[in-house]
Amino acid sequence: MSRKFIEIEGPKWVEQGIITTEQEQRLLALYPVDDKAIGLLPLLGSLLVLLSALSLIAANWQELPLPVRFGILLGSVAGSYAAGEYFRRRGNTQLGMGLVGLGLILFGTSIILTSQMFQLIGYDVTGLVAWGVAGVGLTYLYRSRLLFVMTVAIGGIVQGYNTEVLGAFSYATAVFTALTLGYYWWRYPDALLGAVLATGLLWQAGLLIGFLHIKITWFFVAAMLLYAFGDWQADRPAGRALQGPPLVAAFLFMLGLAIFGVADSYTDRLRPPLLAYLAALGAVLVLSLLGKKARGRLGSATDWLLLLPGFYLPAGLPLAVAALVVLYAYAGTLLWRAHQEQNPDRVTLGTVLFILTTAVAYFKLTWGFMNKSLFFLLGGVLLLSLSWYLRRRAVQTASATALPEKP
Amino acid sequence: MNSFPTPANRRLWLLLLVGAQLLFIVAVAAAGYATTAYGRTVQLRTAPVNPRDLLERDHLRLTYGITYLPLTLWQEAAEPRRRQPVYVALRPQADFYTAVRVYNQEPRALPPEQVILRGWVVGSNRRTLHLRYGLERYYAPESQAKALNKKGPHALLVHISIAPWGQARITEAEVL
Repeated sequence: MSRKFIEIEGPKWVEQGIITTEQEQRLLALYPVDDKAIGLLPLLGSLLVLLSALSLIAANWQELPLPVRFGILLGSVAGSYAAGEYFRRRGNTQLGMGLVGLGLILFGTSIILTSQMFQLIGYDVTGLVAWGVAGVGLTYLYRSRLLFVMTVAIGGIVQGYNTEVLGAFSYATAVFTALTLGYYWWRYPDALLGAVLATGLLWQAGLLIGFLHIKITWFFVAAMLLYAFGDWQADRPAGRALQGPPLVAAFLFMLGLAIFGVADSYTDRLRPPLLAYLAALGAVLVLSLLGKKARGRLGSATDWLLLLPGFYLPAGLPLAVAALVVLYAYAGTLLWRAHQEQNPDRVTLGTVLFILTTAVAYFKLTWGFMNKSLFFLLGGVLLLSLSWYLRRRAVQTASATALPEKP
Repeated sequence: MNSFPTPANRRLWLLLLVGAQLLFIVAVAAAGYATTAYGRTVQLRTAPVNPRDLLERDHLRLTYGITYLPLTLWQEAAEPRRRQPVYVALRPQADFYTAVRVYNQEPRALPPEQVILRGWVVGSNRRTLHLRYGLERYYAPESQAKALNKKGPHALLVHISIAPWGQARITEAEVL
């Protein structure tokens, strides 16, 4: 229930004599105005200002004398931070944070433009790592979600530049981002920040796998390590949000196996040494299960179904079928748990995954030999009846949960 | 929550943080000057550049004599990999430097007349190794751009400073 809901519905309740005006006010007081939202407008505004300033200066940049160019860079960085702090103190938090964010963007731009002014090339990312450090410092100082998101993005950009252009992986950047931003998220649990952080760290893990030229399935050891931290987080929504991206990655990978696993060329690139891989994944599994146990959420252990290493099976139909079985097991347990918890959102999610899996399975198993018009007809009927059945179950669940919101 | 700065010294932290960022930008500029001052200068020949490029963008794209090297200069056990960092040993020959050998690790000892320039593998085939040095863009000053425009396509002799700590920069370019 949110403030907005009470603001809309409250007067009707007062009118119908369910609550008094005073009670309505007390209810409203329980939900103070949420000022933690990122604020799209200041973000958009600072972007536009940045673009216009950039295009103006960029058009004349080469003609400006060097000290002037340097002065513009230093002045714009200092100016943005000062203006941001000024507005924040005035109580205009969103504009203030937008300007501080702009200052952070300008800092990174200044490092790049200064190197370019001196036609200077570096062979490591020290300059850009400083950008990330500044972002983390500001995030802690302002305790701002906007700056947190920006810093995750900066970490991803620095690492991407490092692996693509400089041909190296900066372990310092990866560890620094994970530790500092991870600790921040741990102290101030937040669902959005959890999902953003997980996405950023998975991106860096992916770059590392590419850089090391190792089997891509190692990615899931890193991803599930992240997942395990979500298990230990006391704040359930924040923990669940951190686990979202790793689970999405694992689900898509398993779906990919079901679709493309028939070709041998693929599976060959997926198989790390069996013992090492299972030991690493097993260690993470234990860490995750201990966390689930400590927080009393052992039921969610079914998430780990997605990590069954089916890619060790011989390529071909057995592998595709095994992947489908795993996907069904996952979607099925998700649905079953959602019905038990009577959680309508997760029922919907489970329904979507179940239908998606069915579509893939049907396509995979019957496309080869079935008459095409019959294929589409049967497929359509199958999906329609499945969605009808699942929807009926969902409605039953929804009606089993309390009905007070319906008139 | 005690581990975070209290509002009393928050302002101090902010000043320190912003000050450090400004100092860092100054340090990048200082590294530019220092690379010229303490670096060893090498001259590299480029392929003819087309001054018309300057009409379309603000820089010239340079292809050096050491951009494409014979694969025989690569004497490592492993094949060169795309995007891999490499260390190119240069030696003076007449009035410019040419490549002697390409290493995948920084060599410990070198003859005194040789100098190392770092680069990256762009690609390779059976005979040639294609490298990139990060020095392929040259922001020509106005006067030089005019002179180039008069002369038409011409090769350049580019002076590069290589600092002992590894940074490098183009200090000037002569029209040959």
